[in-house]
Formats: sequence, structure tokens, C-alpha cells
Amino acid sequence: MRNSNQPNNSIDISLVRPKSIFWLYLGKKWYKFSRNKLSIVGLVLVVGIIISAIFAPWITPYPEHAGSFVDFENSGQLPSLQHLCGTDNIGRDIFSRIIFAFRGALLMVSVVLSLAVPLGVFLGLIAGYFQNTRIDIVIMRITDIFLSVPSLILALAVASVLEPSLMNAMIAISVMWWPRYTRVAYGMTCSLVNEYFVIAADLMGASKFHILFREILPNCLSPVFTKMALDVGWVILVGASLSFVGLGEQAPIPALGQMVSDGAGYIPNLWWMAIFPALAIVLTILGFNLMGDGIRDMLETGMG
Amino acid sequence: MKQATNNEILKIEKLKKYFHIGKDKKGPIYVRAVDGVDLNIKYGETLGLVGESGSGKSTVAFTIVGMYRPTSGQILFKGKNISLEASKRPLSSKKEIQIVFQDPGSSLNPRQAINQILALPLRIHAQMLKRQLREKMIELLEKMELSPDYLYKSPSSIGGGEKQMVAIARALASNPSLVLLDEPTSALDVSVQAKIINKLIDLQKELHLTYLFITHDLSLMRNVANRIAIMYLGKICEMAEAVTFFEKPLHPYTQMLISSVPVITEEEKNLKPKKIISIGEIPSPVNIPLGCSFHQRCSYKMSICSKVDPEIIKVSPGHIVRCHLFAKLENKKQERSD
Amino acid sequence: MQTKENILLNIKDLHVWYRVYGGYLKVLNGVHLMVRGSERVALVGETGCGKTTTMKSILQVLPPGDFQIPRGQIFYKGQDVLKMSFKEIQRLRSREIAMIFQDPTTALNPVFTIGTQIGDVIKYSAVFKDEENVHHERIKTLSIKALKDVSLPDPERMLINYSFQLSGGMKQRVCIAMAICSPRNLLIADEPGTSLDVTIQDQIMRLLNGFVEKRKTSIILITHSLGVAKEMTDRTYVMYAGTIVETAPTEVLFKNPVHPYTKGLIASIPKISGGGIAKGIPGKLPSYLDPPSGCRFQPRCEQESPICSEKPPQLFEIEKDHLVACYLTQR
Repeated sequence: MRNSNQPNNSIDISLVRPKSIFWLYLGKKWYKFSRNKLSIVGLVLVVGIIISAIFAPWITPYPEHAGSFVDFENSGQLPSLQHLCGTDNIGRDIFSRIIFAFRGALLMVSVVLSLAVPLGVFLGLIAGYFQNTRIDIVIMRITDIFLSVPSLILALAVASVLEPSLMNAMIAISVMWWPRYTRVAYGMTCSLVNEYFVIAADLMGASKFHILFREILPNCLSPVFTKMALDVGWVILVGASLSFVGLGEQAPIPALGQMVSDGAGYIPNLWWMAIFPALAIVLTILGFNLMGDGIRDMLETGMG
Repeated sequence: MKQATNNEILKIEKLKKYFHIGKDKKGPIYVRAVDGVDLNIKYGETLGLVGESGSGKSTVAFTIVGMYRPTSGQILFKGKNISLEASKRPLSSKKEIQIVFQDPGSSLNPRQAINQILALPLRIHAQMLKRQLREKMIELLEKMELSPDYLYKSPSSIGGGEKQMVAIARALASNPSLVLLDEPTSALDVSVQAKIINKLIDLQKELHLTYLFITHDLSLMRNVANRIAIMYLGKICEMAEAVTFFEKPLHPYTQMLISSVPVITEEEKNLKPKKIISIGEIPSPVNIPLGCSFHQRCSYKMSICSKVDPEIIKVSPGHIVRCHLFAKLENKKQERSD
Repeated sequence: MQTKENILLNIKDLHVWYRVYGGYLKVLNGVHLMVRGSERVALVGETGCGKTTTMKSILQVLPPGDFQIPRGQIFYKGQDVLKMSFKEIQRLRSREIAMIFQDPTTALNPVFTIGTQIGDVIKYSAVFKDEENVHHERIKTLSIKALKDVSLPDPERMLINYSFQLSGGMKQRVCIAMAICSPRNLLIADEPGTSLDVTIQDQIMRLLNGFVEKRKTSIILITHSLGVAKEMTDRTYVMYAGTIVETAPTEVLFKNPVHPYTKGLIASIPKISGGGIAKGIPGKLPSYLDPPSGCRFQPRCEQESPICSEKPPQLFEIEKDHLVACYLTQR
């Protein structure tokens, strides 16, 4: 499913207004994204998860079960039409809790990536531009140090020093996440610095700010965005690992890993307590990964 | 130290650019890309710099524009010494000397639209307001016969010839006086090349530009340049007026180059030297042979050629050669004048 | 066309479409090309006119799924390539037709030695000669012979070299060696000298020419340099926007070009005898997404007549063996 060596005039646009070009651009990007049917499956999954997370209080059958709620009469129910994923040991509807747990997961992903990506990319750009100087050495060696510690252990260490909470879990994951982006940005910047268009801008008299952020950065974004899409799955997994050991969102607010951990003790009797949250984790990661493939296809330049 | 004369916009003296690439037992290893080049360009002329890969022609241009700092020698632009890297040069010299690169695909940022590409030099050198910017950009595009809707296109959606037009427009945006053209049409087809070359010639007359035109295409040079200089492994072998070059090529390398050009008409065929066939590979600039750098491939090799590097000899006004074959001429001239 | 005997390759009315956003790129719009045995043919045209697409169709190496061939046939020795089975195409690629690519750096695999790569070619072409397992000593002998034939110095040592240790000219010679190491009937050379210096290009061209003459192989030389076409070929096809606009024996074509595009192209070439640069041909290649319904050159043509925009002109013989696709010359 690679693009062929086609002549490079696909559409003749004789339109001046930037708006029409914008829509054309979007249309082309969608075409590239949708070439692979699996990417669309991923997109559907992701959109479904995001929408259900946002509208959770209104679309779940039992929104109150995501808070302090106890109903021992209905505890341990098998999956049925009333309780799609069954109920847990204290009677809460698992399906609704999963949907609410998505909220925490997505919030975590947004915060972590909003912190880690700009920091990581910025450091990588600077290090790559000032290659072989002290700045480069300092930044990249610090990055190496962070990357040499097993990431989960690092997150656990940070999270256990701080009080267990969602916010602190997010901080912990951000701390271990930014170096990956530094590596990516550093590699791209090192190779871009020798490109003629960067040299031309420099010879023109452009400021270093312009070269870094207007010439080099836009060309780094493609691998960064692709990596972000794929990272969502990883962040969710790490978050679930943290909440599995109790270092994340605290009860009674649901978190996927915590739900799996609670349910693990009830296997094989109330097997649905652990299986469905685990499945939810799998589907989320799968959805973002498939979508990530599509994003990579979409961001390819070349055919205009 | 000679001064530049008034009608020379650029004067290069004994320019050397070596690149350090490592060490061996005998000491550091250098790539001697430019190994002692003297050039001058007069106002308004087109000087053609011809050579194959490893000749150093692009390195000369890159050093003039400031990408590299000369290892030794000096560059005088309008009388002022600018033998420094671009970052240390005053803004005015960056404005005056512009370069157009060979591959338009990599000299334009694929993630920018053309209006952003053209805005950069205008903002830096012309300091314009936003509204004036757009008008000026449309004016530049029209000079290159491109319609205003090109402003919002990205380089990946236009053809090679048009990309090169944009690159030229960008170079002209700062109102330069000297434009270096590094093989601007080598990657393009002959019909597109004709359009671009014609445009360059028209622009030269209209804007009083001076060109340093680098290429390996001799037939193009014949019709574009006023004077031509041929480089081989970092040194100039021959320099003369364009017409003289093809009527009376002296240096064996020049003859080899001309005989390799594929031609179409009978007239051109007759102009080609008869028996020179190209032999051998081009040596790498790391391993430049002792003596004359060309002697291993030369059909007129003499014993002195592998030992002594020839000096530059002035055969007639405006025609210089670097070859032992003509040293005898020079000696004869001196004998007669004694 | 007269001599019907000994026709090696006959492309008839080939149409190739690529699938893209917004529809189809109708690149090839009726290509007719014929190569006889021991004939040297040049295919000349600008970048994007469809030369490489045509060659890729012959060898069936167009990207799968992205293209369509709504019409046309490619006859090789009488058999339609487009209807061949996979095994027959394999045989075609390993025994009959060889391709030499434009950029030798990317045509050679940098992680394998030269010896391995030539050895592979010999091995696979021998397999189809019903020799099941060719002894590796014999492969080595044949490889060395092939490298000697392309005038590479010290062939023994060349076998253990990697491609990045070689210069551009040497790499191209290796590619040619790979193409001629087993006997072929047809060579397709895609701009073989373009990425090389002019003195080296001269050597390579003469080498190729020598082979073709000695072994009586046919060759299709794709180039955008008319000078190369003139010096090296017997017959020239001029291609524009996916159609053949003119074809004639090379001497005849350059003495008497008829199609406006051919004339414009020849005029654009700078001559070492001087004379300045001609104006070139105004305009640019049409969009393949929405090509002109009539003659594809019509938007750039200086002359015009109403029929030019109605339907594409067919190749028409205006003198012996000289065909042109233009309504204005068919009077």
C-alpha cells in the first residue's frame, strides 16, 4: 500500500483564496488516511471512546455507580441486558464504570502528552541545532540518563514518593515520557540542519528562532505526531499499571487498571469484573495504534 | 595584496578550502576541495564555472556566499574583504550576494507555503509591513511569470521548473547585485531549462545583475556566459572568453570535456576535437596525484607532468592555462623579449 | 510500418491510469512503440511524460493496486505480457529483458557485496534455464567475466567490494554488468548517464553501445537528452504527456522534425557552436487528472485547428517509416 512513483500534478488549483485550499488540503489528507481500512476502524474506536468519555454522565445507564455506591443485592450479576458487563462485588455496573474510567485515562493522556511532548521536542530541537556543543552534550546525556532507567520503575518511584492521586500519577508519567520525544526531535533536527532550505534561510540572515521554529520544527512534526498517536496506548497502559498497584486515581473513582486489580481477586467466580476492564484497555490501545498508522500515512509529503 | 579594480564586483585571490576528515600516520587528512583559485567577475557579466564532481566549483560558490570560511586566501566584494562565514558578515553583504541551489526540491521548505518562503527575505532585508509584503510578493511572482495563486501553494505540488522559479524569486527578493547559480537547471528538462535560462538573461539586463554560473553543461555555458573558467580537482585549468574556448581549447582536460558533449548538428560535430576520448576515473579530492592533478588521464603527458604542478600561464589577453605544454610558449615569449 | 518480421516488442495503444485522490491520473493515453531485433531505440521526453510508466508496464512492476490498464496490449515475441501468468513474467524478467536504472546508488543494495548481487542475477537466470543448481564456482567465473566485460579494473577484488566504496561511474558499470551477465534479448536503460559526470557518461554510453552492437541485443534508451539519442540510436520515439507524438529513424527525425513539440524540443537545446538559447516551449504538461480531450499538446501548440481539441490524433505515416500524431501535418 505504498504510494507509487506518480507524476506530481494531481490537482490543478487555480484558486487564490486560502480557504478553498484549506478544504482541498483536508480532503487530500483524508484520502491518504482512509486508504487503509484498518485506520478507519481505529478512528471509529477512538472517536467512540472519546465521545463516550465526554458524555459519560448522560449516556451511561448507571452514572451514579461511578461514585460511592453500594448495592449488595445486585452484586455479582452476570453480564445481561441490564448490566452489559455485569456488576462487581459491591453491585456497581461495570459498563458504566468503564466509561467513566475512560475519562481519567483520556485526561491522563492529554495532560501527560501536553507536558512531555513540548518539553521533549523543544529540548531535542535545541540539542540538535547546537550539535557537538556543550548544550547538546548536556541535554542528550540527561536524556540518556532518563532513558536508561526502566520507565515503569521510574514512574513508580516518583508516584510513590508523592501522595497517590491522579495528578501525581500524571506528573510521574510525564517525567519519564519527555526523553523519548527529545530523541526523535534530536534525530530529525540533526539531519534537517544540513538541508538546503535551512542553509538558505541562514544565509538569508534569518534569526535562530526562525530557523528552529519556522524551518526545522514543521518538518519534525510528522514523526512526532505519529509517535503521539501510538504513545496514547502506552500512556494508558502505564497509567493502568500505576493504578493497578494503587498509585493513581483513588477509589471510588474508577480507573481501568484498578478495576482489573480489584477483579483479579475474584477470578474465576466473577470473571467479568477483571476481563471487561482489561478488554477495554486492549480496545483503547488497539484503536489508537490503528489510527496512528493512518496518521503516519496522512502526514507523508511527496505527492502534494 | 592586490586591490580590486573599480569594475570588478568580486575578486577571489588564492582561495583555498580544505575539509579536515581525519588522520593517518602521516598527519591530518584533508579534502582539498578548493586548492588555490584566483577569479574576478566584472559588473554585469556572467562568469561560467565549469567542472565535474570533485572539481570544487560548488565549494567556491559556497565559500563566496558564506556557508564556509576560507582556509586561506581572500574574497573581495565591491572592494571589501568578506572572507568570513555568513554569521560573521554584515547584513548588507547577505543582502547583496544571493545563491540559487541545484536541487529545487531541497532548497524550498516542503512544509511552508510559497508566501512564507518569499516573505523571509522581504522581512529581513526590506522591512515591510504586512500589506506591502503581499503586493511585493505578487510582483516577484509576476516577474517570474507565475500567477498570484502560487502564493498559497506548497513546493510539493508544483513542478521542478516552477520550484526553481520560486527559488530565483526568493533570491531576487532582497535586491542583490551578485547572484550565484549552482547548476540551476541540471535537474530539469531541456525545454524547462530554456525557459529558465531566458528568464535569467532577461532579469540580468533588467536588474543589472552579475552572475556566477556554475554548471557541467558546456553547451549551455557557450550560450550564456561571457567568460568561462574550467576547474579540475580544486584548481582552475583554463579560463577564457566563451567563444575562444570552443574555437581554441588549449588544456587537455578542456578538450576531453568538449569531446564528451553529445551533440546534434554537423556544425557542432566539426567543432569537437577529433581524437580525444575520455579515459579513466576522476580521482577523489582526498588523493590528489602529485604534480599536475590531471596527468593520469592526459593523452599529452610528459615526464615533468607527474612531478611538478604547472603554473598559470597567460597565453593571450584574457586567456590563461595551467599546463606544462604551454610553458614552452611562455619561455619562447620571454626569450624573444630579452 | 513495413518490416513485420523480427518484431521483438510491440506496445499497442497502451493506456495506464493511476488511482489518486480526486480520481484517476490518466497518464498513458495510447502508447504505440515497436522494437525489432538488434535495434537501438530511443524514447525521448520530459520528466513526467510517462516514459518510466511505459517501461514499468513492460516488466509488470507497476505498484500493485494503485493502477489500472483499461486498454492496450504489450506483445513480446508475439505474446501479450499483460495476460501472462506470474511464472511467465518471472521468466521474462530473468531471461529476456533486463533493466538498467537511472541512479546506480539506489539500484545497488548497500548491505550486500557486489559479488553477491551479480551472483544472484546469474543464479536466478540460470534456474529458468532448467539447470537446477548452478555450482557456485561457475557463478563466480561468470561474475568475473561480466565485470571484465564492463572494463572494471581488478574484477576479483570487485566481488568483495560494497557499493558505497565505488564511484558513480563504477556503480553504473556494475549495474550494466548485472544486466548483461546472461544473454538477453532486450535491454531497457532508464537515463543511464544522467546522474554521472559528462566524461564518465560518455564512457558508459560507448560501453553500452559496444555491447549492443557486439551481441545484437535490442535496447530501449530512455533519455531526456536528444544529443545522446542522436549519437546512440537507430530509431527515436518522442513522447509527450503519455502519447507518442512522433517517431522516425534517428537521422530522419533530426533532419526533418515535423511535430511542433519535437521541433520546439530540438530548438531548445543549446549548441556548442553558439546561437543563444531558444525561447523554449510555453506552458507546461497538462494535468493528468483532467487531461485535454483532444490532442494533449494542443494547449501549448502555436498552431491550431478546431479538430485538435476534439479527439486525440493518431500516428500517421507522412513519409517512409516516419510517423507523426498531428492533424496539421496530415494534409
